[in-house]
Amino acid sequence: MNILEIKDLSFSYDDKSDAVDQASFTIAKGSYTTIIGQNGSGKSTIAKLVIGLLEKKAGTIIVDGLELSSETIDKIRQKVGIVFQNPDNQFIGATVSDDIAFGLENHCVDPKEMDDIIHHFADEVNMLDYLQHEPTKLSGGQKQRVAIAGVLAMAPNILIFDEATSMLDPRGKKEINDLIDEIHEENDMTIISITHDIEEVVHSDHVIVLSEGKVIMEGKPEVVLAKEKELKALSLDVPFAYKLNKALGLKGIKLKEKIHMERLVDELCQLALKK
Amino acid sequence: MPISFKEVSYTYSPKTPFAYEALKGVNVNFTEGKITAIIGSTGSGKTTLVQHLNALLLPSAGEIEVLDRKIKANIPVKDLKSLRKMVGLVFQFPEYQLFEETILKDVCFGPLNFGIEPQEAIKISKEMLRLVGLDESYDERSPLELSGGQKRKVAIAGILAINPQILVLDEPVAGLDPQSSKAMMKLFVELNRRYNKTILIVTHNMEHVLAYSDDVVVVDQGSVIRHVTKDEFFMDDDILNELKIAPPAIINVKAMLKAKGIELKGHHLDLESLTDAIVKEIW
Amino acid sequence: MDSIALGRYIPGTTLIHRLDPRIKILSMLFLLIAIFIPAGFYGYLVITIVSLLALSLAKLRIGFVFKALRPIMIMMIMLMVINVLVVKTGYVIITFLGFEIYSGAIYQTLYIFIRLVLMIVITTILTATTKPLELTLGIEDLLAPFVRFKVPAHEIAMMISIAIRFIPTLIEETQRIMKAQASRGVDLKEGKFKEKIAAILSLIVPLFVSSFQRAEDLANAMEARGYVPDAKRTRYKQLHVDTKDRIILLFVILILVGLIKIAIFI
Repeated sequence: MNILEIKDLSFSYDDKSDAVDQASFTIAKGSYTTIIGQNGSGKSTIAKLVIGLLEKKAGTIIVDGLELSSETIDKIRQKVGIVFQNPDNQFIGATVSDDIAFGLENHCVDPKEMDDIIHHFADEVNMLDYLQHEPTKLSGGQKQRVAIAGVLAMAPNILIFDEATSMLDPRGKKEINDLIDEIHEENDMTIISITHDIEEVVHSDHVIVLSEGKVIMEGKPEVVLAKEKELKALSLDVPFAYKLNKALGLKGIKLKEKIHMERLVDELCQLALKK
Repeated sequence: MPISFKEVSYTYSPKTPFAYEALKGVNVNFTEGKITAIIGSTGSGKTTLVQHLNALLLPSAGEIEVLDRKIKANIPVKDLKSLRKMVGLVFQFPEYQLFEETILKDVCFGPLNFGIEPQEAIKISKEMLRLVGLDESYDERSPLELSGGQKRKVAIAGILAINPQILVLDEPVAGLDPQSSKAMMKLFVELNRRYNKTILIVTHNMEHVLAYSDDVVVVDQGSVIRHVTKDEFFMDDDILNELKIAPPAIINVKAMLKAKGIELKGHHLDLESLTDAIVKEIW
Repeated sequence: MDSIALGRYIPGTTLIHRLDPRIKILSMLFLLIAIFIPAGFYGYLVITIVSLLALSLAKLRIGFVFKALRPIMIMMIMLMVINVLVVKTGYVIITFLGFEIYSGAIYQTLYIFIRLVLMIVITTILTATTKPLELTLGIEDLLAPFVRFKVPAHEIAMMISIAIRFIPTLIEETQRIMKAQASRGVDLKEGKFKEKIAAILSLIVPLFVSSFQRAEDLANAMEARGYVPDAKRTRYKQLHVDTKDRIILLFVILILVGLIKIAIFI
């Protein structure tokens, strides 16, 4: 079942060229989709269109059976949560608990119920010990975890990460990537991640490649990521496993696995055993 | 000429309840003419360390030598400008320092501040804009209408136009896409090789450390705990584990194979030698 | 930054800290009004005693209050000089460098001085014992009855709290831009007038650009989480008035009424 359907979506910032140009794709419920493409390819613009922060020029966006329009926008914003790139520019509350409460306040949740909800989601992102801390004083990874808790508290069906780890250090990146995996697996949440991290793409279920606002390639990572020539033409990289596979191939070791490093290593081990 | 730190300590907000000792008796000698990567976790003191090089911060204790200049604790620095002309410092997210109406004017701002004649400033600014990959059509455009990556190129050209001998870069590619990052790192290598600039790069990206640096300095909890060549650094499994640094993919393959019982002999820092070693082990 | 005392919150759990922010704001307003009641030196004595009582209850050091006074000292001295030069009532007390200083001037100056100091002390007690967020909540609630007269109480409170939230970020940003421009040879201390203008522009323009960027990002984040400015929303932090709050308010009102009576008798 598709939880997000995008048909012929177009958008323009300046009426001259289209930042999103007749893009169409669907996203299956419970899947983990990554969207890749160079800066300026329209990835973030699509995310903003889906959540109604920008108004489309043409096309349709259907979220969980509901078409996006000015009447449905509030409902759709409840169904789609988004975590943005800059951890410093997306919290409002003076403390972690106030910040998680912000979305609940907007949706008129009874203040008496808020404490329980805040506790539950702060726990889910491992920030229970920081409820009374000021968000400004947290690390980048912690700030993004608070942002995730704030979004999760609104019980969305889809979570969009708009380069949510690109400003974090390696530790912060790992924290957030692990958390995304956990949310995806435990809650069966649909995840859409806009990313530059090719290794994250390897571990997703589905990848969409954008260029100049158009969907250029789409499919399972093992298929899309093996198209070295096409990716190079878009200045995108292939996974390290692909490079290793190719280099070994030139020396006479032919391996089946092209993108997953763990599986490639397993294959090598089996070859070594046969020797 | 030395670029050295001797027992340098630095405390933020001293004598207040918020006092924080960011550097604790740092000793390090950066090698002139090389590309040195400065690594360490967030809050380890990397940024504090590099801001001493052009006296943006003055040490609370200890002494710094930069080329022929000495910076000591509690002694005001004379002739700050000439020091800052020698040491160019590019901040994290340098795109937030652009302010002039045109790109060319913005790049000229530094050289003019340092007393370079207007005509000469324009000449070197144009040269640097071409070097970072922005052609003439950009000269008269407003820096504010560029994309993030292009803005950053302008900001870096603005420091290069000062023609410093030492270039200090604080996470110069943070937040850029992989392609722009690569292009920028290659630019720094060119500056080092062709223009003989000493380059210090604060970075979190181990792939970049492996691909582009000569030396590695590790900062941990306000102290420099290692200063080794890049090869030594990546051959030392202990330090990678100790610092909890996720190693570059090439190094990681060896560890993954080892975990499955295949031990490759020697150290392999490039794809060619790695594949050779695998072939040897498997055939 | 660390030396700024005016308007700064000092964490604590004293009676004054725990008072309802609305009660504290109202008490402050009443005491400020009281300062302007012409009840003579006895009036000021009463308000001074009340202020000192509040200071000691809040466990605030006198030194902290003096720190808060420091930034406006210059203003006070200016006022005094002007008063001494302009006011010519009463009798001449002393002739200083050819200027005749009248007793009226001294009294006037003293009145203004006492009023200013008391005003600052009272507002400092409020800001030092109330978290910025609680202060905003208090203001929002106190303004709520005026919503029917088109006073945007909630919007005002939201704006204040966002401003407070971004102050540390902007200070950090300013410091970073200053250092970045210093690296490009900007020298705010020396240089000619024209160079100084360029130096200031090199700080202000980037600060504006990045603030607009932050504002846009924050607006997006708020909207994405369902914020609609004029829509109905609930509030997580609820304020409660209890017995101690009522007693304090009553006490302050009694003082106000008492001072009005004294003023009438005089």
